[in-house]
Amino acid sequence: MSTIFWEISKRNIRIHMLRSSLAMLGIIIGVVAIASMGILGNTIVQEVSSSLSSVGDSVIVTPYAGGGGGMGGGGGGHSANLYLTNQNFQQIKRSVAPNVAIPVMSTSAHMKVGVGSDDIVASIYGIPSDDTKKLLPDLEAGDYSNGNSGCLVGTTFAKDHNLKVGSRISIGQNGEYGALRVTGIIKERGMSFDISTDNALVVTQDWFESAFDTTDDELNEVVVKVTNGDTADVKTTIEKQLNRNTKDKTVSVIDSKATLASIFETFGMVTTFVTAIGGISMIVAGVSIFNIMMMSVNERIKEIGIMRSIGTQKKEVMSMFIFEAAIIGVVGSVIGGVLSFIAGYAISSLMFNTTEYLFTVASMLSVAEGVGFGIVICLLCGLYPAWQAANLNPIDALRHE
Amino acid sequence: MVPVIQFKDVMKVYPLKAGDVTALDHISFEVERGEFISIMGPSGSGKSTLLNLMGCLDTPTTGDIFISGIGVRDMSDVELTNLRRDRIGFIFQYFNLFPLLNIIENVSFPQMLKSQKQVDEKKAIEVLQAVQLEERLYTHTPLELSGGQQQRVAVARALINDPDILLCDEPTGNLDSKTGASIMELMTGLNRRGSTIIIVTHDPHIAEYTNRVIRIVDGRIAE
Repeated sequence: MSTIFWEISKRNIRIHMLRSSLAMLGIIIGVVAIASMGILGNTIVQEVSSSLSSVGDSVIVTPYAGGGGGMGGGGGGHSANLYLTNQNFQQIKRSVAPNVAIPVMSTSAHMKVGVGSDDIVASIYGIPSDDTKKLLPDLEAGDYSNGNSGCLVGTTFAKDHNLKVGSRISIGQNGEYGALRVTGIIKERGMSFDISTDNALVVTQDWFESAFDTTDDELNEVVVKVTNGDTADVKTTIEKQLNRNTKDKTVSVIDSKATLASIFETFGMVTTFVTAIGGISMIVAGVSIFNIMMMSVNERIKEIGIMRSIGTQKKEVMSMFIFEAAIIGVVGSVIGGVLSFIAGYAISSLMFNTTEYLFTVASMLSVAEGVGFGIVICLLCGLYPAWQAANLNPIDALRHE
Repeated sequence: MVPVIQFKDVMKVYPLKAGDVTALDHISFEVERGEFISIMGPSGSGKSTLLNLMGCLDTPTTGDIFISGIGVRDMSDVELTNLRRDRIGFIFQYFNLFPLLNIIENVSFPQMLKSQKQVDEKKAIEVLQAVQLEERLYTHTPLELSGGQQQRVAVARALINDPDILLCDEPTGNLDSKTGASIMELMTGLNRRGSTIIIVTHDPHIAEYTNRVIRIVDGRIAE
């Protein structure tokens, strides 16, 4: 298309600088709203997924607690009065083989970490010493305990109470359950479906049973590490085996993968929703573009009439107004794109203390989405005014004052 | 030789709610190449309608119009627009230059429409010299020029695509008598060099410059 119309569009924007800038500002705000909301959503998803996904594929079996059963793990311990028996565990173990089933006992107890320290209450997990490594493969420091009175502590717990490998912890308000020595510190695991170790102690099942006077018929949960087959299949197998009596179920089974998927789905919906709110501001911006384009056409009716009468085609008149909308759209959207990186940077560093998710594909896509949407909205909103300008009757337009 | 303009029994009716209005009633005439014609008549006589039809801005209700032998009756909007661009030069009462473009760009505008290329300054300067506009004004914008100067630029713009006809709508109507006379002298000069010129006016002094007068009364020719 002829460059003269491009030139006219540019000059028209320049002589109406204030008006054009305000329209651009609307688009800039719209792009920033969409893109930064997208970045925010992605950062939340990635932040959560980084702490969740370390769980890997596992199936968690807990005593049937009516309803649908909640998330596994956690403290609570003996008060629930509902346990899995050793027989249940053996059944699970047989049905899921060759996948590994790990019995977990848990309680919470008072403890002290040195002379004169404060009374601390924390969760204690009892796991057979052979299985500890399978459930908790990553240590930050130290090693798994060989002896009975060794324990592993979570990284947050260690930091909060200044514990190192070799530190002593006495369990009970007056040390009545005995003392433990820290042999290793468990790497951060974040939120998880099986056991939450970051703020807890992990001891051997033997120590747990003797200290708290329990038996292997008092298991709080069984964690199945699924390395073979699909978690959904394992879940079905366990349910078939243990919940034969559908009226009186024995266990609740949680499939970590499916739960994770539904969590991400929810986050995805939240992100979409928040982005859609940003989209509203873009639509408002679009209306203002439409408005100034209509003004621009109305101011130039006579000019359009002259153009048409001396031989300008309709499509050329149309292109002139489309160029105008496109210039506002592209410039506004690109500025908005740059600003949304800055906004994204500010939001992520203020809310999450990290900006590592800013330059991920998902965040880039959010910015591209915002910029693209901005340009498309501008073009769409310029389309009708341009069409109207092109289809003015040249005689009437010429007579217009 | 083919007439530049040929009207054959042309009728133009505007359908209005209150009843049809016949603006032109069975008009026939021819304009030969090189003629210098004025079309006169009181307001409401159908002058403007005639001008619009000659300028291919509108099509007749019945009858036929030929521009350089080309029938315009069944032309599409795109074809009519190209005809206006290539064969007709318009000159308006209010000059109607584009304020966003400088003089050279204004003059080159129809040429750029035709060639779809950048400004060809050579041709623009040629026509600007023909209308005797001072060279220092070439890069000015229209609003920096006087009325007479603007009308010279408008004439140059009308000439740039070497049209078959120059159609002028009250070309001196917005100028003082002295400047108007100089524009009419320019027109006369152009006519002597071969341009076919049609001037629509109600000013008898303007009509004196032309070789033939067509009078329109109530949509009919009264010669």
